[in-house]
Amino acid sequence: MTSTRKVLNWIGMGLFVLLGVAATIPLFLIIIDIYSKGIDAINRLGGLWHFLTSEPPSPLSKSGGVGPPLIGTLYMTALGAIGGFALGFPLGVYIGEMRREKLANAARVGVNVLVEFPTITIGLFVYAVMGLVQDDLNRYILGPVSATLKAALGNSVFYNYVSWFVGPLDSFNAYAGAAALALVMIPYVALITASAYASVAQPLREAAYGIGGREFNALFIVMRKVVSRAVLTAALIGTAKIAGETAPLLFTAFGNNYYAPFTGSTGAVSLWIYAASETPYNVQIMSAYGAAAVLLTIILILFISARIKAIHD
Amino acid sequence: MQMTKTTTAIIAAVIVIVIVAVIAMWAGGTSRTQTPTSATQAPTPTTTSPTQTVSTTQTPTQTTTTQTQTTPSVRGVLTGAGSTFIAPQLQAWSNILENATGGALAVNYQLTGSGAGISLFLNKKVDFGASDVPMPEDLYQKYKGQFVQFPAIIGSIVIAYNVPEIAYNKTGKYLNLTSEIIALIYMGNITQWCDPRIKAINPGLAAELPCKPIIAVHRSEASGTTAGFTLYLAKTVPQWNETVGWGLTVSWPIDKLGRGIGAQGNPRVAAAVLNTPYSIGYIEYAYWAVNKKEFDAKGGVAYIRNDNDGKYYFPTEESVAEGAAAALQRYAQKYGAPPAPDADWNPVSFELPNPPKGYPMLSFTYILLWKNYTAEGYPDAATRAALLREFFSWVLTEGQKPGNIVEGYIPLPSDVAKIGLEAVNSVKP
Amino acid sequence: MFFIKAYPIFAREGFAMFLQTEWDPGAQKYGVLQALVGTMLTSVVAIALAMPMAIGVAVTINEVLPSRLRTIFGSLVDLTATMPTVLFGLWGFYVLGPFLQNAVNTLAGGAVMTSPSTLFTASVLLAIMVTPYAAAVIREGYALVPKAVEEAIYGVGATRLEAVLLKLRYVISYVLGGFFLALGRAMGETVAVAMVVGGNYAHLTTNLFQSGITISSLIALQFGNARFYTYAEPALFAAALLLAIFGIAINTAAIYLIQKWQP
Repeated sequence: MTSTRKVLNWIGMGLFVLLGVAATIPLFLIIIDIYSKGIDAINRLGGLWHFLTSEPPSPLSKSGGVGPPLIGTLYMTALGAIGGFALGFPLGVYIGEMRREKLANAARVGVNVLVEFPTITIGLFVYAVMGLVQDDLNRYILGPVSATLKAALGNSVFYNYVSWFVGPLDSFNAYAGAAALALVMIPYVALITASAYASVAQPLREAAYGIGGREFNALFIVMRKVVSRAVLTAALIGTAKIAGETAPLLFTAFGNNYYAPFTGSTGAVSLWIYAASETPYNVQIMSAYGAAAVLLTIILILFISARIKAIHD
Repeated sequence: MQMTKTTTAIIAAVIVIVIVAVIAMWAGGTSRTQTPTSATQAPTPTTTSPTQTVSTTQTPTQTTTTQTQTTPSVRGVLTGAGSTFIAPQLQAWSNILENATGGALAVNYQLTGSGAGISLFLNKKVDFGASDVPMPEDLYQKYKGQFVQFPAIIGSIVIAYNVPEIAYNKTGKYLNLTSEIIALIYMGNITQWCDPRIKAINPGLAAELPCKPIIAVHRSEASGTTAGFTLYLAKTVPQWNETVGWGLTVSWPIDKLGRGIGAQGNPRVAAAVLNTPYSIGYIEYAYWAVNKKEFDAKGGVAYIRNDNDGKYYFPTEESVAEGAAAALQRYAQKYGAPPAPDADWNPVSFELPNPPKGYPMLSFTYILLWKNYTAEGYPDAATRAALLREFFSWVLTEGQKPGNIVEGYIPLPSDVAKIGLEAVNSVKP
Repeated sequence: MFFIKAYPIFAREGFAMFLQTEWDPGAQKYGVLQALVGTMLTSVVAIALAMPMAIGVAVTINEVLPSRLRTIFGSLVDLTATMPTVLFGLWGFYVLGPFLQNAVNTLAGGAVMTSPSTLFTASVLLAIMVTPYAAAVIREGYALVPKAVEEAIYGVGATRLEAVLLKLRYVISYVLGGFFLALGRAMGETVAVAMVVGGNYAHLTTNLFQSGITISSLIALQFGNARFYTYAEPALFAAALLLAIFGIAINTAAIYLIQKWQP
C-alpha cells in the first residue's frame, strides 16, 4: 500500500515537473534566440547607445536603432499600465468579493469577453472614439490649455519640452495608444485580482470585516496583505502584456520612425518589429532582433526589481 | 504596509521609465525637436505661395544623396499609410531626403495594408496613401476629381521553386514555365514535377525533373501580390478565370487537395518555399533578389513565357520595365490616351499583366494625394501640400535613380514618372 | 458600435452569414462559421494542453525548485508574456510548424500533416503562449496556501503528490481564474495565430492537421485590405460580434455551472 503510494507519488510529481519543463522549454528557446541574435545585431548596428537613440534603419542604412519607437513604447506602456491598473484593480476587487451579485457576474463575463476580443478590434474601437472626440477635445480643452501654457512659459526651451506632452492632438497620438493599451490590460488585472480576493479564506474575511468596520476598509486595507502578491503579479503581467502589443497600436499610435511629440503619431518597438519582419533586408531584420532584446531587458529589470522589493517588504 | 510599498515600487518604476524616456528623447532627439507633425509649431505663414512651390519642385534636381543641401522653405514630417510592399523603399527615400535637407523633410510611413491605407487617406487621417491596387471603383466614383493617384514604383511577381534535383547551382539552368502550367499546378491538375507538360518546355532539365508531388505555397492574408498573381492567371488561362477568378484573397483549389501551404507575407512565402522541398510559390521580386543565393542553392526562379510574343522572360529590371512600357502602350491604344492622374486606374492595373512583350507579371504601387488639401480640411494645408509636392516630385525624378532605389525594386520608365509628376503638380494647398 | 459597423452586411445577408462557411469576397461570399469552428477547435486543444502545463509550472516552482531560484525562474516565465506576439508568430512559423509537421508525420507514418501551418500548429503555439498566464495565476494562489493547512496535510501522512492535489483543490478559484484567462487569450490571440494558421477561408474543416482560420486571425489577415470589397469590412465587424456573443454565452454558462457546483 505504502509502496504503491510512493511509486504513484514519484510518477505524479515527475509528471508535473515534466509538464512544467515542457511548457518552459520553448519560452527559453525564444528568449535565448532573441538575446543571442539581438546582442550581435546591436553591436553590428553601431553599439548600444547608438542603437537606443538613433532612428530605425532603412534598407540603405548601415546602422540604426530603435530610439523613437523605444521612447514611444516606454511612455505609452507607463500610461497604459497606470490606466489599466487604476480601472482593473477596483473592478477585480468588485468581481472577486461580490461573487453572488448579478452585476458582479455580468462584470466578470464582460471582462472575460474583453480578454478574448481580438486586440486589433480594441484598437479600432479607440480609433473610432478618437475620431468622435478629437475635435471637441482640442477645441475646448487642449487648445486653451496649451495656449495658457504657452502664455505662462513663453517661448522658452521648457515650453518646447512641455509641448511634446501637452497640446492639441493629431488623429494618431500616444494617448490614444495608451488608452487602447489600458483597455487591453484591464481584464488581466481584474481577473487576477478577482481570483486573489475570491481565495481569501472565509474566517479571515469575516475577521477583516469585523475589524475594519466599514466595507471599504475591510477590502482595501486589511486584506491587501493577503492578496498583495497576486495583485503585484497582476500589475506586472498586465504591464508586460501591453508592452509587447502590436495590433491595438496600429490605428491609435500609428507608429513613427522619427522623434516627434507624443501629441502626434508615436512609434512603438512592437510596431517596428512587425514592420521589420515584413522586409527582406538584413539590416532591418537585425534591428528587429535588437529591439526585441531591448524590450525584454527592460521588462526583466522591472520584474526582478519589483519582486525583490516585494520579498524584502 | 506591504501593499503601499509595492504600489510605491510600481510608481517608482513608472517614474524611472518616464525619466529614461525623456533622457533618451533629449539625447537622441535634440536635432529633431524642430520637426513637428502637429499643427501648432509648423511655420506656415508666407512660405507657400504658388511661386514658392515652383521653386521647391526645382530643388530636387540638385539634390544628391550624400551632401547637405540648401534646406527647403518649409519643414515637417508627413504621414502616409498603406501598402506593405512599398514600405522599405519609402523609408529609404524618406531617410535620403531627411539627410539631404538637414532634417527638414521626412515621411513617416506605416504599413497598415493597402486597403486600410486607402481608408485612412479617405478619412483624412494621413497625408497620403499608398496602395498596390488602385482606388476601388465605387470609391473612385464617390471621390472623383478630388484626388490623384499615380504609380511610384513597379512591383513584379516571380515564381520561385525548391527542387533540389534541378537547383540552379547544380544545373546552371532555371525552369521555364507558362501561365497555363502555373494555373494547373495551383488548381491541382499538374501534380508532379515530372509531368510531361513541364518536361516539354524544359528539354534541358527533362531528365532531372523528379517525380515528386508539387507543394504550392500561397499568401494566407489578403494581399496585392495575390491580386496581381491571380489577375495574371485569370487573364491568360480561361479555366482559371472560370473556377478561381482573381482577387486579393481567393479560394485556392490546391488547399482542398492537401498540397497547399498558406503563409503570411512575402517573407514567409519565401521561407516556406526555401524550407519545403518540391514546393513552388509566388513572391515579390525584391524578396527573391535579396535572397538569390539561397534560392539558387535549392531551386531558383522561373523564366515565364509571355503568351503574346511567345518568348520566355527572366525577371530582371529591364524585362519588367519593358513589360510595363508595352502594357501602357496597349492601354493608350485601347483607350486613346495614356492614363491621366485623376482617372480611374483600375483599367490600367487590369492592362498590366500579360503585356504584348516583356516579363508578364507586374503591378504598380500607387500613391494617393488630394488635389486640394485646404478643401479637404487639413490643418496647415499649405505646408502639407508644399511638402508633399516636394517629396513626390523628388521621388519621381531623383528617387528613381540607381543609388536611391533599394535593391529589388524596379524604377518607373520615364513616361510613367511623367504622369506622376503631372499629378503632383496638380496638388494645391 | 460594432453592430453599427457591421450593419451593412446584416442588411444584405441577414444573420445567415453566421451559418455560411465560405469566405471569398471576390465571389461575394462572407461566411464566417468556419472561423468560429476554427476558434473553438484551436482554443479547446490549446487549453487542454496548456492547463496541465501551467499546473506543472506552478508545482515545479513551488515544490521542486529551491526558494532562491523561484523568483528568478518565475520572473522569466512571466517575462515570456511580454514577448511581442509577432515574435511568437515568427517562431511558430519558422521553428514550431516544421517541427510539428515532421513529428506528426513520423508518428503517423505518413503525410498526415501536409503543411507546417495548420490548426494544430496554431493550437500548440497558443498553448505555449497562454501557459505563462495561467501559470502565473495558479502559482500565486499556490504560494498562498497557509502554513497551517500545509502542516495539517502532511500531518495526516500524505505523500507529496497527495499534498499537491489537495493544495490545488484548496486554491481552486485561482485554477479557474487561470483557466478563464488562458481561454480568453487563446480565443482572442490575433497576430501569432495569423502567422501559423494557414489562412484557409474556403471550407469548413474539423481536421486539426489541415490549414484553417479563426475569427481573430480572419480579422487580422483580412482587415488590411478589406476596403477593396464593399462588404468585407462590415463582415469582419460582424465576425468580431459573433466572437463576443459566443464569448458571453460560454462565460455565462461557465459561471452558472461553477456557482452551482461550488456552493
